[in-house]
Amino acid sequence: MTAAPFILWLDDPEAAGNRLLGGKFSSLGLSVAAGLPVPPGFGITTSAYRAFMAESGLAPEAARVRQAAATLPPERLSGETVGLLEGIATRPLPARLEDAVAAAYAALERRAGMAAVPVAVRSSGESEDLAGASFAGQYETFLWISGPEALLRHMRKCWAGMFGDAVLSYRQDGKVVAAMADFGICVGVQQMVQARAAGVAFTLDPINGDRSKVVMEACWGLGEGVVKGEVTPSRFAVDKVTRDITTRAFSPQAEEYRFDEASGTVGLFPVEDARREICCLSDRNVLDLVELARGIEIARGAPQDIEWAIGPDDDLWVLQVRPETVWSSRPARPVAAISSPVSHVLMRMAGVPLAGRNRGS
Amino acid sequence: MQKPMTAQPAEAPARKGFGSPMEVPTPAGAEGWQEMYPYYALLSAERRQEDDARFWFFDGMHSPDPLYPFDTIMTENWWVAVSQMSSRVWAFPPALGVDHRIVNGYLYISPIGLKDQGKLAERIEHFNRRAGHYFENWDDIYKEWVIKAKDCIERLKAIEFRPLPEYEPEESITHHKGLYASHRLMSSYNRIIENMLEMGSYHFEMLNLGYGAYLTFREFCQTSFPGIADQSITHMVSGIDILLFRPDDELRKLAQLAVALGVDSHLLDNTVPAQALAALAAATGGSEWLAAFEAAKDPWFWYSTGSGYCHADPVWMTDLRLPFSAIRGYIEAARRGEDVRRPLDAILKQRERVTAEYRSLLATDEDRAAFDGLITLARKVYPFVEDHNFYVEHWHHSIFWEKIRELGDVFMAHNFLDDRNDIFYMHRNEVSQALYDLEIGWAISSPARGETYWRPIIAKRKAIRDRLVKWTPPPALGTPPDLITEPLTIMLWGITQETIDEWLGVDLATTRELKGIAASAGKVTGKARVIVDPDQLYDVQDGEILVCRVTAPSWAPVFPRIRAAVSDVGGMMAHTAIISREYGLPAVVGTGFATQRIRTGDTIEVDGARGTVRILEEVTR
Repeated sequence: MTAAPFILWLDDPEAAGNRLLGGKFSSLGLSVAAGLPVPPGFGITTSAYRAFMAESGLAPEAARVRQAAATLPPERLSGETVGLLEGIATRPLPARLEDAVAAAYAALERRAGMAAVPVAVRSSGESEDLAGASFAGQYETFLWISGPEALLRHMRKCWAGMFGDAVLSYRQDGKVVAAMADFGICVGVQQMVQARAAGVAFTLDPINGDRSKVVMEACWGLGEGVVKGEVTPSRFAVDKVTRDITTRAFSPQAEEYRFDEASGTVGLFPVEDARREICCLSDRNVLDLVELARGIEIARGAPQDIEWAIGPDDDLWVLQVRPETVWSSRPARPVAAISSPVSHVLMRMAGVPLAGRNRGS
Repeated sequence: MQKPMTAQPAEAPARKGFGSPMEVPTPAGAEGWQEMYPYYALLSAERRQEDDARFWFFDGMHSPDPLYPFDTIMTENWWVAVSQMSSRVWAFPPALGVDHRIVNGYLYISPIGLKDQGKLAERIEHFNRRAGHYFENWDDIYKEWVIKAKDCIERLKAIEFRPLPEYEPEESITHHKGLYASHRLMSSYNRIIENMLEMGSYHFEMLNLGYGAYLTFREFCQTSFPGIADQSITHMVSGIDILLFRPDDELRKLAQLAVALGVDSHLLDNTVPAQALAALAAATGGSEWLAAFEAAKDPWFWYSTGSGYCHADPVWMTDLRLPFSAIRGYIEAARRGEDVRRPLDAILKQRERVTAEYRSLLATDEDRAAFDGLITLARKVYPFVEDHNFYVEHWHHSIFWEKIRELGDVFMAHNFLDDRNDIFYMHRNEVSQALYDLEIGWAISSPARGETYWRPIIAKRKAIRDRLVKWTPPPALGTPPDLITEPLTIMLWGITQETIDEWLGVDLATTRELKGIAASAGKVTGKARVIVDPDQLYDVQDGEILVCRVTAPSWAPVFPRIRAAVSDVGGMMAHTAIISREYGLPAVVGTGFATQRIRTGDTIEVDGARGTVRILEEVTR
């Protein structure tokens, strides 16, 4: 088979690091290959996106919008994208693409043993591969999507998300990324984790770059609360070497992100009183997550930013693994370049600043 | 023994300071306490302005109890010996000496920084040459140090005190000595004081430099890994085979030997040591155990249950209760099939793992090179830092106190005192005078004035000191500094900016949480056992949490029985911290108020990683 596939399952041996899956999902492919607990799913590949753009005739318009992004101020961009967004939302999909997505969703239903299995649908862009560009928070994620029609509709929304104002004007080193190349996008589809608690883990301290810590933020319910910053999460720091939990900053939580059966939507809903004053993670949970995060960091050879969730049975899930971008992109400066330990010790002993002691007049 | 919470106005301080040391009231019944101490250690009106402006903190770590007049020799020693190293010997650039005052019998100290910045460059030059010499030749100098220390101990052992004879031995006449028993007695006294001050000087010969090398490595680790626990740093540096653990190791061996020889039941069944020894003497195989026991005693039982700075702290050699209780514990463990040896291999492997992992987390090759250099130096100086404690505070000082008791016997024999320990109610300069008085009485063959002079004074001083024991010293007095940066203050006494803020802000009557230094990680809940007198150590029950002003390394044998340790005073390098880490027990040190706030029987939670102690449930009081 020579044509690039429209669908690539995360547990396909081809998935690991495959550019067709965009940054986020190819990285998840690596995680699956490494045996990490990743919710099952598939990517609707960049090849699928390109087939749609070509066959729908929208490709030239997309190219024009990307170039406009390089020159126009962000507030004028939305005027330029109206036609393109309309086209992405409405022009017919290639039949073989529609069939492939429906078949993959049906396969996921069978794997989950659940009809209309709820899935998370999110963008995974090629431009995320650019070193140092996280695009954090720039792309939308759609949760609890059920059924093939809804999936296809949200796939289109992900594609359209490429041309949102914020994404188009996202700059890296002063350059508008969208204008650099015809970056494609993959749409990742994964079975929803019924998260009891969720959050993020950094394998360094994002405040000061300390590599000996794993720092976690966690909240009740879906991780959106932490990621979107709408919930004040509890914070934990753990020493990688000793596995001591060095910080436990508990934050009481009045609301959580979850799926509401009644309204059929995902949103912020009240946490019942009994749970508000309880920390969403036990020490055991924290240490298990550190074990997982540390394993990922060692396997990838660099600090990582990991989204995770804990299911109803204390089951751990890795939702996303990204290289940490802030500290990792800074040049490493030595703490102390010393000529000899003795001279350094003498210097430091002599240089201890005088205490501002009150010594009387 | 609980301390009443009265007469402590310094505990409700204004936010800006701890109150004037001069205004600390004397507890009723302790009036006249000042006469027990030398004039130079007392507060005085003409120095008031200076003293009020300085920051004084209670040195409960070395002297948790009101000082006995004689015992001030220890604090007076380090007043000079520690101070001169910084100010005059190393010319340590930023710091001068550590000043002392005695307030209501308790020792308060105040580090003095360099005022004259013009001297800084000159001091740095002296310091680099002098300290550099010691660092470059550390191992050889430490070998010489051990020889000097052992020689000092041998000379101490040779000093004897005997009552003066009715007639001078005839040998003095036949050998034309010209010097007689009176001169020998005074000379022995002068020599023992000199010997004590000699060891007191060796004590600090290398100590500050050792701490300096350690602190520099610590600073490097904290810069690389902000928030790294102090215990992780000491863990990387601590020695495995240090002398301080030898006494306890000897007990473990004796326990194993007792089991191997089948004489363990004699030790288990007889909880009074003398009865156990008698039973062993009569038992088959008992003589072999007794021989091993005698061999282990010298020097390893010259081990104080206190800091070594107080004559009243029981020493294993003369009080076998603590070692025998520990031996029983080890025998019971051995009978359960446990390996009672200290897991040296496991400790060593753990140390290597922790070191290698932190090293691998450093960002650059330069950092790894710096780490390697600094940890090598820190490990080189550390054996002295840890082992000096056994040579000085335990071995030497325990013998010293025993010799002074012999001198007490001399005063008893000459009708000055009713109890050998009464000598400790006299200052060493008063002893010198009394000794001359005694020789006058002997020489003129007529009662000395001392036979009537000292008894009422000592009775009065006992009453005063008993009253002072019940008084609770506030953790600090005077005016706190803007910044605490002096390394020894932070490291040994655990006093940081946070400590001071905590002390200034805490409401003792109501606070349910005490903050201290996180000394050894782990979190446990249990019943508190508050110890303010070493004698109470025998009350400790299995599974309790030890709450004390300060622990001594020789309390190690109770550590297998407790779940956690909490102290009022102490930093990362305090004995409590070192031993707790070794035993894997959670510990919080430097809480300031734990022995005042917590009562025996309270249910408390100790979080050794966060450095907090929470009172969960209080016994009715």
